[in-house]
Amino acid sequence: MKAITGRQIALELEQIPALLRCETEWVVDWIERRETGRAGLYLVLIFIGSGLYGAAMGCWRAPLQAFYTALKFPLVIVLTTLGTTLLNGMLAPLLGLNISFRQSWLAVLMSFTIASVILGSFSPLAFFIVWNTPPLSATTEIPWLAYNFTQLAHVAIIAFAGVAANLRLLRLLRALGGSAAVARKILLAWLASNLFLGSQMSWILRPFIGSPGLPLEFLRPDAFQGNFFETVFNAARRLISF
Amino acid sequence: MIETNPASPLPTPPALPPGRAATPPLGTHPEEQVPIASLVAAIEALLRQPRRVMFQLRQANQTHLTALLLMIAIICALIYGFVAGTFSGGEQLWAAPIKIAAGLVLSALICLPSLYIFSCLSGSQARLGDVCGLVAGLLTLMTVLLIGFVPVAWVFSQSTESVPAMGSLHLVFWLIATYFGLRFLYDGFTQFKAESSDGLKVWIIIFLLVALQMTTALRPIVGKADTFLPVEKRFFVSHWADCLKQ
Repeated sequence: MKAITGRQIALELEQIPALLRCETEWVVDWIERRETGRAGLYLVLIFIGSGLYGAAMGCWRAPLQAFYTALKFPLVIVLTTLGTTLLNGMLAPLLGLNISFRQSWLAVLMSFTIASVILGSFSPLAFFIVWNTPPLSATTEIPWLAYNFTQLAHVAIIAFAGVAANLRLLRLLRALGGSAAVARKILLAWLASNLFLGSQMSWILRPFIGSPGLPLEFLRPDAFQGNFFETVFNAARRLISF
Repeated sequence: MIETNPASPLPTPPALPPGRAATPPLGTHPEEQVPIASLVAAIEALLRQPRRVMFQLRQANQTHLTALLLMIAIICALIYGFVAGTFSGGEQLWAAPIKIAAGLVLSALICLPSLYIFSCLSGSQARLGDVCGLVAGLLTLMTVLLIGFVPVAWVFSQSTESVPAMGSLHLVFWLIATYFGLRFLYDGFTQFKAESSDGLKVWIIIFLLVALQMTTALRPIVGKADTFLPVEKRFFVSHWADCLKQ
């Protein structure tokens, strides 16, 4: 076994593989320790990993869009994590796992870190997809075939990162003392709260890919008008009325 | 003076409802016997050690704890109400907190006598003070959980203009919070050696209906109006149906 103390590990990137493997022996110890350095490291990893992937996503439209999306993608993750801290921290003990707010926040942050590291590792692939796709900036209309393919590829990669991260979070919740049933309940509750707020955050911070017919901008002028669920609901209603 | 120690000699205890009989008596664990003195300790205990709150509520000097719980519930309801009020701004910034806090307390006060009666009818050993304490715990857990929803509610308040959408969102948050609050109340009552929990289940329906009607009686909580309270009397189902048609 590695003879590394928790304090040393906090500042070393060596912990990333252990985190990805979710070596519960280490990870539970990290969660239980009160180390701000580790949370800082996770935040840096989130900004690098999902930032790189965001850049790959946005570069199809323009370099400036790549820069914007590189900032916005990690922002969605961090703001969602912060926004649901209180709720997730309350839900864990209520559903049977007595962990502190800090521990629940760190557990969620860890899972987002894992997802971001996976996304970062897929960013060369995403860049490659964009490089092989007709440029979005050269047209005034959306090339739907390429657009749909790129969108689907992003969805598949993000879904893979999300599933992998959540499977590790489930393992971590079990290791933290919850039974399999309790861990599953907490994971579902946390997923619901994170997805709910995360969807709205991504709606506010849109666009991520960009559209050839619309100007390049950090936020849409109507960013704070309407919400994700209302739009989905109205789209479904229109679809049914046809 | 009324003896409040749960370990006091009682007649042969009736059977607990199925599925709940396995829980040990309150106060078995030493940490449940630690008094709850502060606001933060009460919130922590409600979330992490609900049995400690239940045990403390059965002690002789529990009025202090009940008052503390009520105070937390009112403060949390006011905070959540303020965030709900940011949707419309203006007068709603003070009207919504007052309406939400008053609505919760009024709903509890209206339903409290029936809860005590149902509790007696079901053969429970709970005193009025115990019932008040458990209802205070219900309100506190509900509103503390609502505080957990505050960041989410605020984000949606700032990014939508639809009153039905925002109203539905608050309703979903309230239902989730109420579920956990009622679970605390239910668990609390199982400690009072009731012969049946049917009365409590009926009371839960009554409480939900009263609280839902309160959202219509004190309208608007989300959105604006010319008067502080509505002029027209309406049933909450018809009011909500009209809101959704807009």
